Amino acid sequence: MAIIEVKNLVKTYKISEKQNGMLGYIKHLFHPKYREQTAVNNVSFNIEEGELVGYIGENGAGKSTTIKMLTGLLTPTSGSVIVNGLVPNEKRIQNNKQIGAVFGQKTQLWWDLPVIESFRLIKKMYEIPEGEYRKNLKKFTEILQLEELLDKQVKNLSLGQKMRCEIAATFLHNPKIVYLDEPTIGLDILVKDNIRKFIKDINKEKKTTVILTTHDLKDIEEVCDRIILIDKGSIIYDGEKEKFKDIYGNKIIAEFVVKNKTKSVTLETQEEDFEVIEETENSLKIRFNHDKLTVINIVDSISKYCEILDMHVQEQGLEEILKEIYRGEIIRD
Amino acid sequence: MIRKIIAIAKQDAREGLYYRFDLLLYICNFMIQIAVYVFIWLAIYNQGNQILGMSFEQVTTYYILVVSLDPIIGWGINEILGEAIRDGQVLRELLHPISFFSYYFGIRIGELVEAGIVGIITFLLCAILFGIVLPQSLFHFCAFLVVIVLSIIVIYFFEMILSMSAFYTNSVWGIEILKRAIISIFSGMIAPLTLFPEWVQKIANFLPFQECIYTPINIYFGELSNIEILQTIIKQGIWITVLYLLAKFIFHKAIKNITINGG
Ligand SMILES: Nc1ncnc2c1ncn2[C@@H]1O[C@H](COP(=O)(O)OP(=O)(O)O)[C@@H](O)[C@H]1O
Ligand SMILES: [Mg+2]
Repeated sequence: MAIIEVKNLVKTYKISEKQNGMLGYIKHLFHPKYREQTAVNNVSFNIEEGELVGYIGENGAGKSTTIKMLTGLLTPTSGSVIVNGLVPNEKRIQNNKQIGAVFGQKTQLWWDLPVIESFRLIKKMYEIPEGEYRKNLKKFTEILQLEELLDKQVKNLSLGQKMRCEIAATFLHNPKIVYLDEPTIGLDILVKDNIRKFIKDINKEKKTTVILTTHDLKDIEEVCDRIILIDKGSIIYDGEKEKFKDIYGNKIIAEFVVKNKTKSVTLETQEEDFEVIEETENSLKIRFNHDKLTVINIVDSISKYCEILDMHVQEQGLEEILKEIYRGEIIRD
Repeated sequence: MIRKIIAIAKQDAREGLYYRFDLLLYICNFMIQIAVYVFIWLAIYNQGNQILGMSFEQVTTYYILVVSLDPIIGWGINEILGEAIRDGQVLRELLHPISFFSYYFGIRIGELVEAGIVGIITFLLCAILFGIVLPQSLFHFCAFLVVIVLSIIVIYFFEMILSMSAFYTNSVWGIEILKRAIISIFSGMIAPLTLFPEWVQKIANFLPFQECIYTPINIYFGELSNIEILQTIIKQGIWITVLYLLAKFIFHKAIKNITINGG
């Protein structure tokens, strides 16, 4: 049985339309007008124990709204959520014991106290056995490099240091499921890498199910096995990360350094199966589908018009694929 | 559960005690307030006036108690919770593995530790400086403490109810002012309730706020019979039950309907 079952989940926000001025305010009191906005629209998915799922989408796509319903903080307008056999918004406390969560800038660390004090309170609140607490603390301190931070007051930590402590705090009680809503936002590369490594390690060791929302696709590339892509409240892709690339992508980008160009390659190759994205006097950037063509084909075609000095080939990244989906350039068959 | 609440209270108190210097300033401020009152009353009594049959020592004691009790009753969770709701931090607090009410009760006790330190030091210093009337008896002193403890619980639920309105409006500050006004008028904090018109006294008799200041001080002076003390405690018990149920009701309604800012 799946550890998270989401079926036909819908969340519609009621937004009050206040008019300006005192008169408008009074009018609103007697005749409140609401505009409805559907943030999550008929979403269904199952997540198995131990999966690392990337929940991605643009700003305002409905990621946080979904996570809030999964954690029981928000009541669905319709549809159902079952997490490890519980309905989160009905059995909130019971559900809280089995999950961990990080919400962007919100923190469970005590601002004026040393980090370790917050950890100790977590130990008491979750009734973590002494041995387990020690073991986790030791391991987390090692991976997340918390050694020097534990005795510092939270208010004296940098953003990255705070997030590392926050992540450690979230995993201390061995939660079965962890929701991370934009955990790497605003962090530098080293800290991001550090956190990604931590998530992967813990997932491997404890089979913790992790759902990660982000719009940093590096997070997904490096951490997740599965992608759920949400756009305007609806899921437009759900499956393995690699398959995602196969369906939407499998495109190769080849960059060439050229000289003695005789004609405009863009014009000359209009009929061909590849696409010239960029062309200058001595460079070419070409995109093509790897199923249909090979690099050799491309080299054959363009060498009619110029002399190739150097080339560089790379697979199209997740980021570019998403950009195209958002621009409406790719429509799934 | 109790152990967890105590752990939270300790944490909150530890954080509060981090600002020890602030607490010291509070004590100074309260002592100056008391001194001003004492000198005003001294001037009035020197002109040969008698107020409500209270001696100068009794009036002095009354004010020392009022000012010392002020933080103990008044430093609640209203602002903390209201602010948490407004900036969305409450999202985090709703994810704790203990109930929202237990969590905030822990916070309330933590605040009480700080307030208690300030209140007791203020009281002791002023007692030495200005002299006070001692409680009627040990029994009366214990009853005084019991009524205050129950009042703290009453005020806790009262504050929970008020703060939860922050789920719907954004005016944390206005609600804090409202709370202070209600408590200070109907508790006898501004002046002994017998100085107010009769209709105010009637309302005060019904509401649970005079048990915060006025009633316990009267018990301290031995002005209430044992039966009246018992009635007071029963009244507080009823109010605690009513406010508890109301607070739970509002919480469950709010949590189902609201959307919390942020995140
Ligand atoms: N509390 C709220 N009240 C009204 N509308 C909201 C609220 N929270 C989010 N929304 C709207 O719902 C949509 C989805 O938001 P959200 O779930 O936060 O997206 P994401 O996390 O993917 O950026 C957005 O259009 C947003 O404006
Ligand atoms: Mg979001």
